[in-house]
Amino acid sequence: MIISSSPLRLYSKAAVSKRQRFRLKRFMEGVSLWLAVMLMLFVHPLYAEANEVENVGQLHFVDGQGQWQEPALVLDSEFDIRVSGLIADSRLLRSFRNTSDEWREGVFVFPLPEKASVYGLTMKVGERTIEGKVQPKETARRTYEKAKQAGQHAANVEQQRPNLFTARVANIPPGETVSVELKYQQPVQYQAGVFELTVPTTLTPRYMPGAPVSTAPDQWQGGWAMPTTEVPDAGAISPFTVNPADVAADSHRASINLVIDSGLALESVSSPSHRLVTGQDGQTFRVRPDGGKILMNRDFVVRWRPVAGLEPSAAIFHQSWEVEDYLMAMLVPGESGTMALPRDLVFVIDTSGSMAGESIRQARSALQAGLDTLTPRDRFNVIQFNSQTHSLFMQPEVATGNNLARARQYVDRLRADGGTEMAPALSRALETASENEDGARVRQVIFITDGAVGNEAALFRQIRRQLGNQRLFTVGIGSAPNRHFMREAARWGRGTYTAIHSPSDVDGPLKALFSAMESPVLTDVRVKWPGQHAGKESFPGRPGDLFQGEPLMHVVRGIPPMGELVVSGRLPGGEQWSRTLDLQQAAPATGLNRHWAREKIDSMEDEARVTDREPDQAGITELAVRHGLMSAYTSFVAVDSTLVRNAEAPVESDNLPTLLPAGSQAGMLRYPQTATSAPLLIALGLVGLMFSIAILLLQRRTIA
Amino acid sequence: MTRLLLLLLTSSATLLVFGLWIPLKAAIAQELLEMAWAESQARQTESRPWPWADTWPVARLAIPELNDSMIVLAGTHGESLAFGPGWLTGNDDHAGAVIIAGHRDTHFRSLKTLETGNEIRLQDLDGRWQSYRVQGARVVDSRVELIDTQRLPAGTLLLVTCYPFDSVDANGPLRYVVRASVEGKQREQIETVAGI
Repeated sequence: MIISSSPLRLYSKAAVSKRQRFRLKRFMEGVSLWLAVMLMLFVHPLYAEANEVENVGQLHFVDGQGQWQEPALVLDSEFDIRVSGLIADSRLLRSFRNTSDEWREGVFVFPLPEKASVYGLTMKVGERTIEGKVQPKETARRTYEKAKQAGQHAANVEQQRPNLFTARVANIPPGETVSVELKYQQPVQYQAGVFELTVPTTLTPRYMPGAPVSTAPDQWQGGWAMPTTEVPDAGAISPFTVNPADVAADSHRASINLVIDSGLALESVSSPSHRLVTGQDGQTFRVRPDGGKILMNRDFVVRWRPVAGLEPSAAIFHQSWEVEDYLMAMLVPGESGTMALPRDLVFVIDTSGSMAGESIRQARSALQAGLDTLTPRDRFNVIQFNSQTHSLFMQPEVATGNNLARARQYVDRLRADGGTEMAPALSRALETASENEDGARVRQVIFITDGAVGNEAALFRQIRRQLGNQRLFTVGIGSAPNRHFMREAARWGRGTYTAIHSPSDVDGPLKALFSAMESPVLTDVRVKWPGQHAGKESFPGRPGDLFQGEPLMHVVRGIPPMGELVVSGRLPGGEQWSRTLDLQQAAPATGLNRHWAREKIDSMEDEARVTDREPDQAGITELAVRHGLMSAYTSFVAVDSTLVRNAEAPVESDNLPTLLPAGSQAGMLRYPQTATSAPLLIALGLVGLMFSIAILLLQRRTIA
Repeated sequence: MTRLLLLLLTSSATLLVFGLWIPLKAAIAQELLEMAWAESQARQTESRPWPWADTWPVARLAIPELNDSMIVLAGTHGESLAFGPGWLTGNDDHAGAVIIAGHRDTHFRSLKTLETGNEIRLQDLDGRWQSYRVQGARVVDSRVELIDTQRLPAGTLLLVTCYPFDSVDANGPLRYVVRASVEGKQREQIETVAGI
């Protein structure tokens, strides 16, 4: 408007000179004409702007023929979660509403908590409900495809990663809704006197290292990443990631109802991610997010804290399932470690493209906080990685003021861009150990990342191989980090996992981490159940070291709730520590068998990883089917017996997108608008001028 | 009649002036940006070309074959593209891919004459020049394709402008993308595919 005001002033001057020459009537005529011109000038930019807005922010999905295709399915999610004791039991209802007038198949890739045991699938069509069954993965898929071809209602849920699943719903009638209800349970996290439950709603787009297997055309193909040598199933774990504005206004919203019945007097219920509305009924708390439905672009995290002084330090739960006893024990050593040895601290920070935006800022402040904990006795290094790995020093340097200042400057300059080549960075961080092996130093690696990679398993193997006597601690960043990677990397690295949820949430968790890192509280932990001998399996088989505030969780099958459980270990000073728990005090619980089965499946997969062999597929399948669980080799399928779609009616597949995690930047950029209206204006102006000159000449000629 | 004619004449003249003002503004702005760029380089800071500007110069782009040189601005919103090509993404150290977008009727008009093998040079704040060679160009439909920055190999330079060059439709969906890759200081090529 600054530009247009000066010519306008010229015109008004011209209008003034007009007034002096013409009579009042003609003057009014002139003024109105000028007003019309000005109106047009003002309206034009507004119109152009409106035009532009229409074009921005609409991402359409394209089918095989390159035709326009609006996402026809609207997704609705309802979480119904009940926490009792240490296990949270959830019902997740996902509704796919078909807004088109064609038959649809919906495909949706979604995350669940990393320790979730999925144990039920129910399909709901109108008033009818169809129970799903566990089947071996391939069989289930075949059953589903057959039903889809035949025109029956069918649903199939598969596990892609321990925290990533694919739901398929076939033959959704035009204008109607088909829902699938998933039942899953997860253990509640308990750390330093605070319970925490996470409900993931979206995933950070994963990076797929390795070379593409097929020669992919250099363009965006339906939104799926190409399989690579490192990640053969890349296509199955990379849904579209779009902005909330790109899906229908009522799509990708979730309602969450959480009931906490922990059997303890609670002091507070809070969330670092969302505002909560809580209602209390005795010791039972009802929690839901403020404002009803939440947008599925951020993990929903709830924490609750028992009344001070009443934090539980031990608990026993018992369940009988199919004539067998299951027991679960939780124990917090409650000792505090003392810092004994100087440390070599290596900070590894992920500066890949998926960290861009809010994440890299949080990561930088986490790293700065980490630098604050160093003492002049310590040595440290900072390694950043994206497509390449770069470190501040060649080898860990003494934390002098000078070196720290250099490190701070280095950290401030970190920018997020490029790929996530994690393997070379891990090697760099872990390898330097062997060079200066002296027992007088504790070597620790702090790994700050969002874990957005597709080759988790290979990285766990690498950590196991290269770890030596070091410890790896992971710090998860962002609205939707890959928690499976974080937790498992820390477990293989004999460290702990800390999550940072929001900028305001940086200090607390980090302080806990840095004090825990000072030294483990209990090493060489042994758990002895009464009368335990071969065949009575308890998990985890080899409990890792415990850090300050960290509980030991153990689950066993086939031991009746009698006698005493003995937990022993070694304290930092070297002296022995042991505690006993009276099993007769066990509180009743449910879902322990599933927790046990999930732990057993995990341990079977661990064993395969340690021995570098293929996991015992038959064994895992049998175990999962017996306990009705989803696993890497079993999935759920539900098929309605009646035919609803006749074979001629076409059915189209809709790959539902997930939402871009809040605060992160899209890895995919839109092409910007790169043309001006200059040629159009010039052309119009010239045509108008020529036209009026022509008329003028014509008039002259007629007068002459 | 005269009235109408006068109206037509003045409105066409206004349109013409507005139309000519855009390329004129683009040319004048580049002169001001030259000064801001010199100042930025001298002081090693982001210095704004005029006090109310919401953008600042980040690099200089030169195409020796076409005897063309221009200052690249941060960001690609409409206001900054009017004054110079915009730096869409990329690190100052050129480690990842660099993407620069410009208006087809002003600064990036000359892109259509770029040929494979031509040199493109980019100068950063430190004054260092980085040479790129044009690998080729293609036309993309911005409604169907997005730029996957993670999948572009390191050392790639993309120049983006609208297509077709002589169209009068300012909101057309087609884009002309010139792809160049770094030469001289050979960078490590990493074959990667990104999750989307």
